[in-house]
Amino acid sequence: MVWFLLTLGVIAYATRLGLLLAPVDALQGNVFRIFFYHVPHSMLSLLFPYVNLGASLCYLYWRRRDPLKALTADAVAIASAEVTVVYASICLWTGMLWGRVEWGIWWTWDARLTSMLLLWLLYVSYLMLRKLSSTGQTHTLAAVLSVFAAIDVPIVYFSIQWWRTQHPAPVFGGGPDTGLDPSMYPAFIWNIVSWAMWGIFLVGFRYALERRRQAFEQDAALKAIEASLELAK
Amino acid sequence: MKLSWLFGSSMEAHHLLYAYLSVWAIQGGFCAWVLWNWVRTPKSSGADVEPPPPPEDY
Repeated sequence: MVWFLLTLGVIAYATRLGLLLAPVDALQGNVFRIFFYHVPHSMLSLLFPYVNLGASLCYLYWRRRDPLKALTADAVAIASAEVTVVYASICLWTGMLWGRVEWGIWWTWDARLTSMLLLWLLYVSYLMLRKLSSTGQTHTLAAVLSVFAAIDVPIVYFSIQWWRTQHPAPVFGGGPDTGLDPSMYPAFIWNIVSWAMWGIFLVGFRYALERRRQAFEQDAALKAIEASLELAK
Repeated sequence: MKLSWLFGSSMEAHHLLYAYLSVWAIQGGFCAWVLWNWVRTPKSSGADVEPPPPPEDY
């Protein structure tokens, strides 16, 4: 609860910096302020897939050796996959809102946009597989899919360096004449910190929900076994 | 920057406003969905459930 309230406070402060205190961009005007939300969500949507990958690999390792640990890893995997979809959706949507103003178009099949859409589709597929599959091997199949999905992350990241198309060049580490005006750093950094804190909160909360659901299912299974043993007597 | 600018009639103002509002709506919506499921999922009875004894001929 303390983390939640602290996060809300930091989000409010970062939003105020981004909306009210950061200077207007000389080239883009005020619509540039979308980036204070767009960039942190984009960065974090490339980090949470690695949490999902790590948890999925742990699941695959433990599923026969230690099923209880495997269940824990599986709960982390689904929590991080859902948060990835949330962050990637926001990245795509806020990017489209900015693109309509600056480019005059909502969408283009540029390398960065297409690879990001592919990442979003992969994690939506991951969640649909978990929701709809009834093979009994769903968790294993999902864990394997997450390994393939994670391969798209470096492609998304490097796409604006490998293929120079519509999307702006990297702001940081893009060579000379790139970077952010120092007066915009506080808004940018505080927004990254605030949305990272929120993401950690969401993964933790969703993980707790999944563990609660797993415990409830285990209870129900044990009660069913008890009832069947009673009947067998 | 005054906040009143956000509520102007230009596409720039609209899209900036939509971006910020939709981020709060999506993030808040997901958090509310998790909370809703948390409330609906019964808490495990934990220690109340004894693992069943093995069958006698086990």
